[in-house]
Amino acid sequence: MTALTIWRTGKAGPETLLEIDPAGTVTGFNGHVDLGTGIRTALGQIVAEELDLPPARVRMVLGDTARTPDQGPTIASETIQFAAVPLRAAAAQARAILLALAAARFGCPPGALTLRDGVVTGGAGTADFAALLANQSIRAELDPAARVKTPAEYRTVGRSSPRVDLPGKATGTWTYVHDVRLPGMLHGHVLRPPYAGRDSGPFIGHSLLAVDEASVAHLPGLVAIVRIRDFLAVVAEREGQARTIAEALKVRWALPPELPDLGNIAGTLRDLPATKRMLTDRGDVEAALSRAKVQLARSYSWPWQMHGSIGPSCAVARFEGGRLEIWSGTQNPHMLRGDIARLMEMPEEAIDIHRHEAAGCYGRNCADDVCGDAALLARAVGRPVRVQLTREQEHLWEPKGAAQLMDVRGGLGEDGRFDAYDFETRYPSNRGPNLALLLTGAIAPSPQPSDMGDRTAIPPYRIENLRVAVHDMAPIVRASWFRGVSALPNTFAHESFIDELAAEAGEDPVAFRLRHIDDARTAELIRRTAEEGGWQPRSGPRLHGEGDFAFGQGFAYATYVHGTFPGVAAAQAAWMAEVAVNRRTGEVSLTKVLVGQDSGLMINPDGVRHQLHGNVVQSLSRTLTEAVTFDAISVADQDWGAYPLARFEDLPEVRSVLIERPEEPPLGVGESASVPSAAAIANAIFDATGVRMRELPFTPERVRAALAGAPMPRALAAPPPRRRRFARMAATLAAGIAGGLMAGAVAFPALRAEIPRSAPPAAGLWSAETLARGRQVFAAGDCAACHTAEGGVPLTGGRAIETPFGTVHSTNLTPDPETGLGAWSYPAFARAMREGISRDGHHLYPAFPYTAFARITEDDMQALYAYIQSLPPVRAEVPPGRMIAPVNLRGTMAAWNALFHTATPFTPDPAQGAVWNRGAYLVEGAGHCASCHSPRNALGAERTGAAHLAGGTVGGWTAPALNGTGPGPLAWTEADLYDYLRDGRSNRHGAAAGPMAPVIAALAELPDSDIRAMATYLASLAPAPAAPEPTAETLAATAQEALETATDPAARLFTAACGSCHMPGPLRLASAATVPLAFSSTVHAERPDGLIHAILEGVPATPGGGASMPGFAPALSDARIAEIAGFLRRTLAPGKAEWTGLTETVARARATRH
Amino acid sequence: MTIRLAVNGQDHAFDLPPQTSLLEVLRNDLGLNGPKYGCGYGECGACSVLVDGQAARACVMTLGAVAGRQVTTLEGLGTPEAPHPVQRAFIEEEGAQCGYCLNGMIVTVTALLRDTPAPDRATLARALRHNLCRCGTHLEILRAAERAVTLMAEARK
Repeated sequence: MTALTIWRTGKAGPETLLEIDPAGTVTGFNGHVDLGTGIRTALGQIVAEELDLPPARVRMVLGDTARTPDQGPTIASETIQFAAVPLRAAAAQARAILLALAAARFGCPPGALTLRDGVVTGGAGTADFAALLANQSIRAELDPAARVKTPAEYRTVGRSSPRVDLPGKATGTWTYVHDVRLPGMLHGHVLRPPYAGRDSGPFIGHSLLAVDEASVAHLPGLVAIVRIRDFLAVVAEREGQARTIAEALKVRWALPPELPDLGNIAGTLRDLPATKRMLTDRGDVEAALSRAKVQLARSYSWPWQMHGSIGPSCAVARFEGGRLEIWSGTQNPHMLRGDIARLMEMPEEAIDIHRHEAAGCYGRNCADDVCGDAALLARAVGRPVRVQLTREQEHLWEPKGAAQLMDVRGGLGEDGRFDAYDFETRYPSNRGPNLALLLTGAIAPSPQPSDMGDRTAIPPYRIENLRVAVHDMAPIVRASWFRGVSALPNTFAHESFIDELAAEAGEDPVAFRLRHIDDARTAELIRRTAEEGGWQPRSGPRLHGEGDFAFGQGFAYATYVHGTFPGVAAAQAAWMAEVAVNRRTGEVSLTKVLVGQDSGLMINPDGVRHQLHGNVVQSLSRTLTEAVTFDAISVADQDWGAYPLARFEDLPEVRSVLIERPEEPPLGVGESASVPSAAAIANAIFDATGVRMRELPFTPERVRAALAGAPMPRALAAPPPRRRRFARMAATLAAGIAGGLMAGAVAFPALRAEIPRSAPPAAGLWSAETLARGRQVFAAGDCAACHTAEGGVPLTGGRAIETPFGTVHSTNLTPDPETGLGAWSYPAFARAMREGISRDGHHLYPAFPYTAFARITEDDMQALYAYIQSLPPVRAEVPPGRMIAPVNLRGTMAAWNALFHTATPFTPDPAQGAVWNRGAYLVEGAGHCASCHSPRNALGAERTGAAHLAGGTVGGWTAPALNGTGPGPLAWTEADLYDYLRDGRSNRHGAAAGPMAPVIAALAELPDSDIRAMATYLASLAPAPAAPEPTAETLAATAQEALETATDPAARLFTAACGSCHMPGPLRLASAATVPLAFSSTVHAERPDGLIHAILEGVPATPGGGASMPGFAPALSDARIAEIAGFLRRTLAPGKAEWTGLTETVARARATRH
Repeated sequence: MTIRLAVNGQDHAFDLPPQTSLLEVLRNDLGLNGPKYGCGYGECGACSVLVDGQAARACVMTLGAVAGRQVTTLEGLGTPEAPHPVQRAFIEEEGAQCGYCLNGMIVTVTALLRDTPAPDRATLARALRHNLCRCGTHLEILRAAERAVTLMAEARK
């Protein structure tokens, strides 16, 4: 119920702009949304100003298709300049209506009334809005000409007003779109095609070949698998379940055709089909160039960059009674509604989009795509569905800020004037069609160019002979607007080029600019920025420096022109940047920035300043660091390691000069301060070094190469085609080895006698003590690890165990009479354990470690049997093994046993104490440590003697030496071994991971005395140390120093991807690694496999609690993991030989991981 | 298996696998908005919480790892009406634009000030080094962190 409504006729009927309810509460409605810039606060101020209210008393509703006007997308810094205009008029009109009501009430003319803080005061008394609107129900159509206040009357606008959203955001009470939760809501997880980040070509929507739904049918929580052409998603009860199911779902995709070489931006963009659009052509450029005193031709390029929202996109959808509601973080609710209507084949009127704030987007990210996902899933399952994209999906699929190429020619006239300028820019982008429309085939995946390459393409200078053209071209990879759009690259070219010309002319770059500026406001901005920034006039690069460092100042200026050409000017901004360039390493530090900005009237000066600061930090990140990399078929960056952002340590000293112009109309400030950034920094590098950087980003490698006069390296050498999700490792068959076995095979019987089936032993046959003992033997052997399939029912077998001779599957250990051990008598069990012969007489493969189990004492063996028979029986068939000939002839194993196996029980060593002997019994018997930790010979048998426990491999992981000959820098003491076996972690070595993690978990069943005994025995195997080892403290400090001071690209990758856990700072995270990486044997080992597996698969939490490490397999490419491994090797194990063939090793490890 | 822990001073028991992500439990089972999903690899800090007073990245912590421990989220520090001094500092200095990273910034500074009551600006910057902000709010965040040092010192008096 409202007492006063101001409305207007919009595109689809009446639109409410302002409401006041009977309690006097004022609500403003705006079609633009708050992208995190604080626009909600500024719009509230505008309403509050006209109504003379404190800003806190105005509520703003932004971007809700059912409630707010359709004012187009929130782009191009247009909200204050355009979208706020009708809102302001509505507030002014409401004021007039309120004053008229008061005038009637008090019997005096409106001019005799005052309105302050929501209270009207007249001759006869006072009344607030509620009193004035009592029993009223006024609906007034907007009068666009309603009288608004003049700047002289402002009390709220032009003054800083605190952000209305921050108290909620700082205390967790604000509802972002990620925080929308509906009753009965399910969780969707999308599976995207391999053509990540691409949106045109005939393969789009036609690449999904097969989905094996049975592969996940057993997983908990599964509700539905939804498939429409290339759209594929799972819906589950819990978010984590949905992800687990999606990752386990077996899917076959066709691979897309390869991309052109996107590392070569200039070559690729020049070759791309384009439509040349002339924006201006005045004077005679060619004639002016031909007579020019100085003529320059230059090319500048800008890379693809990510919007990089910190929160991956999220949406919730509900489909009920033929209506669809979507909770969304979109920039453009009304446009999105049109897309969704098309996707769902529904009328727009049946769809409501509720816009909630999301993480800052700075343009078109995946916010709209995920709404399509959620809508399709909500309809498919008939319940509300939330879809949260992963970090990897957001990185891969967000439409990137497009790469751009600017080819420029220009010349100086006789009098040193900037007389001719020929500017061509190429911008491969569109407006990011909704992904769900493309994946489902609702729209054709045909290449569509946009016209957004022309932003700020016209230089701001007086140039008589000027030709400016834009080549409109369809995107190569998904691309769409990103803060500053094409104005950033275009200005990078304009403002670098004018600097180059000034240097050629031997003229000061600031004076040279001013000589070509007509507009007085612009001239004042340039002059004041240079003055306040301490500009040092020059006639060429000053080349100041000291030691390795060169210091320089650079200037650049732009009026950001946005919107459809010829566009509208937003705030104008100028930069004065100071840099320090390390001439040895090529690192560029932006040390100081002064930004001058003319924003016209500033609604909220603090808000303007914050936008300015944000633009400085974001654009320094884009200028110095950011470039998307690609592999052969798609985007290659999937995490913040691969695509690092600027950090706190990169911050310059920032000052701002906000020119006060309260009498001028307000101008958009969301992007302007970014626009001059890259050129100002490039110009400063030139001043410092005399070297001109024309390709972004200015990474240390590029700057170093430029300083050396060498060709510029690209951001990253094009990595090899990604095999990540698709490759299958070719099986390498050890044919020769198998042949060796064949020779002896024939002499031995293939089968031994079958031991007849027996009835299952009666329940209650064994004492509790026997069962407890059996349980411990079972734990010491960690039988569960091998006898449980990945994601399978515990102890029912079926785990595939790769051996050099093929694959065997573990058996069902439960006492099921048909498929398990239920029909096994004790003699059959003991024979299998000691001799490797199954109940039916066939030979088992020594992947089953009977060679160790033979050492188990008779008492323990009986207890183990008892324990196994006491387990609940589960029926489970196990697939047959796939062994290569002749090993697949089980008889061959008889020959093997004759060579390598003696089935004798453990005999204590009388020279050693009881503890040592107990340890030896556990390690060599049930524990079967040598199965993994001893090297094997060519026939797959454990090697003995000095090689016993000298280290082996398992499932691609390195099983380090247990006999004291391991590669780590610190020796394994008895205490270390105890800590590790007991807690899964030693402070001097690290945590158990990979196949060792479940072993540690199983050992939790063993008493402390047994763990100590094992530690005693293993410690006794170590030889006396040859030299005193460094202290752990020294080692840690040296390693930390080495990690911190490294500057190569791998160091940056490591810092961004691994630093929060592996680079301790003043804050120790509870989730961080507790042991320095330098202590880990994996970085010191001969082979990198252990380290690589740990990076790929992660390290689980230790049983005592504490941190775990996530596996980076989904996020980091083979090349990047190889880079990290190589970096750690040379940094933390500097004396050791560098690893070679790392990328191939990672690919192999990825293919074999479980 | 039932796993018990205290969140914002309240005891909870969960019948969930121990490897369940702590972040999922906090957000989806307890309906808390403070910790945010950002990357899932501990790279960005948006999901930060306090575990026994120490900062932790909830996206790489499992439920099992916090069994029997005290977890505090942004909600447990203070309310809009009665904010924690660090929250107050971030509100007053407007140390956020979109605010998605704000949880991590506040939690990280809170944890730092527990052990290091008077850090200088460089120490604050180093402590926040692995907290990412895409809006470029770093200057305001550092100013808020400096103000938090003052407000915490006042609160201790």
